[in-house]
Amino acid sequence: MGYAVRQSLRYAVVVAVLGIVIVPFLWIFLASFRPNSELIQQGIGINLDTLTLDNYRNLQQAAQYFTYLTNSAIVAITSMVVSITLALLAAYSVYRTRYPGRRPLYLALIITYVFPGVVLLIPLYQLMGMVGLIDNLLSLIIVNVTFTAPFSVWLMRGFFGAIPAGIEEAAAIDGAGRMRILFSIVLPLTAPGIAAAAIFSFVWSWTEYMFASAFIVDEGKKTLPVGLGAFIQQYNIDWGILTAAAVATAVPVIVVFAFIGRYFVEGLTAGAEK
Amino acid sequence: LKAKQTSFRTFLHDARTGSAPFGYLLVGPLVLWLVITIAIPLIYAVYVGFTDAGIIGTEADFIGLENYATVLGDAEFRSAFGKSLIWAVGGAVVQTVLAFATALALNQAFRGRRFARTWIILSWIIPTIVIAILWRWMLNASYGIINFFVTTVGISETPIDFLGSPKWALPTVIVINAWRWFPFLALLILAGLQSIPGELYEAARVDGANATQRFFNITMPQLQPVLYVVGLIGTLWAFNIFDVIWLLTQGGPSGATQTLPVMIYDRAFNGFAMGEASAISVLLCAFLLIFSVLYIMFVPAGESDTEVF
Repeated sequence: MGYAVRQSLRYAVVVAVLGIVIVPFLWIFLASFRPNSELIQQGIGINLDTLTLDNYRNLQQAAQYFTYLTNSAIVAITSMVVSITLALLAAYSVYRTRYPGRRPLYLALIITYVFPGVVLLIPLYQLMGMVGLIDNLLSLIIVNVTFTAPFSVWLMRGFFGAIPAGIEEAAAIDGAGRMRILFSIVLPLTAPGIAAAAIFSFVWSWTEYMFASAFIVDEGKKTLPVGLGAFIQQYNIDWGILTAAAVATAVPVIVVFAFIGRYFVEGLTAGAEK
Repeated sequence: LKAKQTSFRTFLHDARTGSAPFGYLLVGPLVLWLVITIAIPLIYAVYVGFTDAGIIGTEADFIGLENYATVLGDAEFRSAFGKSLIWAVGGAVVQTVLAFATALALNQAFRGRRFARTWIILSWIIPTIVIAILWRWMLNASYGIINFFVTTVGISETPIDFLGSPKWALPTVIVINAWRWFPFLALLILAGLQSIPGELYEAARVDGANATQRFFNITMPQLQPVLYVVGLIGTLWAFNIFDVIWLLTQGGPSGATQTLPVMIYDRAFNGFAMGEASAISVLLCAFLLIFSVLYIMFVPAGESDTEVF
């Protein structure tokens, strides 16, 4: 095959896959500005003259959007910080030190995904009730860390593997303390991996639905997915308000990702590069 | 100061050779966290499975294996187990094919590569509730855009009720979930692809290996360490997915998309049969645990040049 043919084939695949992922969002984004009456007509024609902000006005009246947004931000950011701290320490342990039982421990960390969230939902609900954490955002943070930290450990593996052997010893000879070694040598070297794991935890926590819907009843404590999720039942076929709700839920995480998204990809891949 | 340095060197040396508590100390907090949030609740779930607990938090009597007898004799349970298998296997096939194609394409050099690599993940960063609204609208039988194409192009004379017909619901939900997850999988594979030294391909080319041979003799073996972990975690994740199905179909129509997690949720929170739901949970965990053990025993982990695994 000629170079030009291969190059255009390459583009065709990339454009096709990107299209599959992105076009549905453009379609729903557009829909959120169209009047309800048009949304229940078949066809792909779009009347530009009738574009409106009505759906968003209705949404704002019907939902405490900014309360949900704040709660989601608190939950996602705190979950991310706690998860990364625990995962970083654990990753250093399983990838950079040697001790009996290290490999079984590592496998056990990964095997935590054996246990379905829904299985833990029932007992965790009761436990949270016992310690008074129902209707408390802390309950969501605790659960999000449980489900993000183990995989975050694995995401950081390439970076710990890439740190030259003996660098800690060298630093220790120079008189660096244990914490100093961790913070001024290991941390910078693994920063891209930490970024990737942080974004993974953030996105997971931002999108989490099941636990948030069970643990939070109070309207003022709901996260965005749960708060607007109630709409699906309530406004069953009011596609105007539903599409507006969908866009309003998606936009914050898309904005965050627009700024830090490339670190996610770089972090996933950079540690592996040779 | 000298003495302190020496002792710390000894300490580090011990940590690396296996006689110091340093490693345990660092991994300790995470292990403790997981014990409290997974192990203890799980033991509790096993206990509840032996009781006739109804609504959450009510008094319950110990009834031995009765829940297990009920569940194993229940046609609904066997059906849900079958759906779970179809869900996991079908999803894995669709996702792997899409992810590999995507990763291979994104591994090439082309203008706009960084944009493509960043935004391919869009469907994964979006909350499931948004995905549910999006696809319910696009797949609507009367005015959804997909059905507009289906009837216009002539795939079908009449619109297909993708989420509402027992025949179409499960494949549809599988494809939607694959659509959500394949970009993430693609990036993990891409990371693996980038770690393959270019010289390997050069050498193979010199030896006259064609693209197919290079893929199976270099790419696949080199990717093995990544595929090994992704295959295990991905399968476990797939089996445990609940929210996408629940928000799209609630397990319906008439159980067509009721996988085990959906059945557990439904029994526990709508059927008020906490004991039975816990028994199903325990069976699902046992199945996944056996799967994992067999996987670790029989699937090759691949050679990793770093000491990481």
